[in-house]
Amino acid sequence: MSQKQTQWAIGVLGTLGVVAVIALHWMVFFWVPTESTMGIVQRIYYIHIPAWWIAFLAFGAVAVCSAVYLWLGDDRLDRAAVTAAEAGMIFTTIGLLTGPLWGRVAWGVWWEWEPRLTSALLLWFIFLGYFLVRRSTVNPEQGKRFAAVIGIIGVLDIPFIHVSVTWFRSLHPAAVVLNPDGFAMNLDPSMGATLGVGLLAFSLVFAALFLAGYTVAGYEHKLDLREAASAGARGAEA
Amino acid sequence: MRTYIGLVWAVARKDLLVEFRTFERLTSMGAFVVLIGVLFYFSMNTAVVRPQDIAAALIWMTIIFVGMLGMGGTFRLEEQDGALTGILQSPIPLDALYLGKVLSNFILLSVMVALILVVFTAFFRLQFSGNPYALFGVLACGVLGFVSLTTLFSAMTARSSMGESLLPVLIFPLLFPVIRFGTTATDRLFAARPFEEVRGDLSLLAAFAIIFTFACAWLFRFVIEE
Amino acid sequence: MTCGLEAAGLVRDFGGVRAVDGVSFQLQPGELLAVFGPNGAGKTTLLRMLAGVMRPTAGHVRVAGEAADVAGREWRHRVGIVSHQSLLYGQLTMAENLFFYGRLFGLTDLKTRIPERLAEVGLSDRAQTPVRDLSRGLKQRVALARALLHDPEVVLLDEPYTGLDPHASAVLREQLTLLKDGRRTVVLVTHNLKQGLELADLVAIQVQGRFASVANAADLDQAGVEAWYHATVEASP
Repeated sequence: MSQKQTQWAIGVLGTLGVVAVIALHWMVFFWVPTESTMGIVQRIYYIHIPAWWIAFLAFGAVAVCSAVYLWLGDDRLDRAAVTAAEAGMIFTTIGLLTGPLWGRVAWGVWWEWEPRLTSALLLWFIFLGYFLVRRSTVNPEQGKRFAAVIGIIGVLDIPFIHVSVTWFRSLHPAAVVLNPDGFAMNLDPSMGATLGVGLLAFSLVFAALFLAGYTVAGYEHKLDLREAASAGARGAEA
Repeated sequence: MRTYIGLVWAVARKDLLVEFRTFERLTSMGAFVVLIGVLFYFSMNTAVVRPQDIAAALIWMTIIFVGMLGMGGTFRLEEQDGALTGILQSPIPLDALYLGKVLSNFILLSVMVALILVVFTAFFRLQFSGNPYALFGVLACGVLGFVSLTTLFSAMTARSSMGESLLPVLIFPLLFPVIRFGTTATDRLFAARPFEEVRGDLSLLAAFAIIFTFACAWLFRFVIEE
Repeated sequence: MTCGLEAAGLVRDFGGVRAVDGVSFQLQPGELLAVFGPNGAGKTTLLRMLAGVMRPTAGHVRVAGEAADVAGREWRHRVGIVSHQSLLYGQLTMAENLFFYGRLFGLTDLKTRIPERLAEVGLSDRAQTPVRDLSRGLKQRVALARALLHDPEVVLLDEPYTGLDPHASAVLREQLTLLKDGRRTVVLVTHNLKQGLELADLVAIQVQGRFASVANAADLDQAGVEAWYHATVEASP
């Protein structure tokens, strides 16, 4: 993709994403009916669930790019992986902040060990490990490989994490109310539409962020190469 | 295949020989088990909490902490006089090197698990009337899952400037399923529940152990290579 | 005749720093290449690539005509390495160390081979001594025995004289002379110009990752090699 095309794509995706997010907020605050059992505060789910979904999508992207990076050794795949990880971390953080906000108002507690929040918290730490290990090596190539390994291990772990949090205290009464699948069973078509717009909006924002981040990472890489080459040339002249 | 197993055993045997020559790791791990038992006991209000009811949590948290202590330095031995260079230069397949390390770590941590059971039974007056074979299976699979991840990551932290302090941050989120399934199964076994109620957790622990041992064996070459 | 050891265009980068910058050479079986150079010239990095312990950023290595890449395992039977570190386990005895490495190299006749190797380096009577109780000089002798245990065609030595007193240096020099049996190809990285020149067929000076100068050892003498070394290092950017 040429530079102009990339900028155009980022612009379009970003604009559409922002528009969709504005539309989402309008729908959430003014359009979608209030859910019967949980009341007004349930509306935060239209932000919370898409954020969580994008976080998992991002992690999937990290894992695929990491695996192919280890196989082919192409730096671009590593840049794609780290960009996806950055975006994924943002959305995981959104999910972790919106969950307790909802919980505080809905149940009067800042934290509840429900499956999505627990998975998001663990995922956030796996992302953190990904970034910490990248920066912790003397040799940057080694750091990239370590991070790629974490990406792959993390994605293998996610199904186990999912099963372990979903099965936990399955007879706990709160699980029925908090279970988004239970919530889905009561879905009004307008609620489904709002959720759909939320997913679309966050996907567009993610795509724009990813493309922009990847492009910037590419420029940074070129800049590093140029600096290294000129340092070498200066050394040769001296 | 026999040669491969021979190589895995050569690595494990060397580690165990060094350990039984010095008892460095076993001593510090063993002391840790006893001391953590003391601290656990005195940090609990036994009038309100029965240790028997939280036996699974006590046992598994101790396994994790003592495992971190002991396994964190898995490759320290090789870093001392550059022995890792000698091994990497040799024809041994890197996954065989990894599996040899996993085997020696598994044996050492299993010895510690046995110590934990003995010491905690004495300290907390634990009683067990459940299926001992199932308990053995749960602990074995959990320890293997733990060791497979820790061995891979300790190779990583050995080569990073952050060192072993990074290890818990990397590993704890990934070990969550092992703790979850392990403690649930152990809880039920201590409550003498039938095997059918433990089968699901045991299967998942076994799946975790097998999948991650294979995955980490394959990924090890990307971690250990310079 | 197939080359004993060949390096072609070896490059190694660490982030933005180029430690080895296009090193190439060909050694026939029986030849010894001495590599001199200041600290930070990339000599150890070069040796680690030749040993297959470090992956080159570019270029390749061939041992006895066979590709010697990091992923390959079989070709490693043909190479032995001695470093300035002993590569041994201090808590184990000499014999136990050799037994372990012997197993890694797939050797089956260790019961006879280990005593022979220890006898060659004059350490038969101390086979059961833990390595950490040995002096630096004796450790280096065991390290050499370890490197030669599987009778490799190529021997790589990375500053083996480091930390040795004059007597130990002399003993090591004697041992290294035995490597010149017309069959083994040797690369010796050393700061010791005198001892390097005595053993070498070819001499190279590595500066800033490149072979700044290569010469036949026969064309140099003691005074000559020192002058050549200093001139080459000072001329480099």
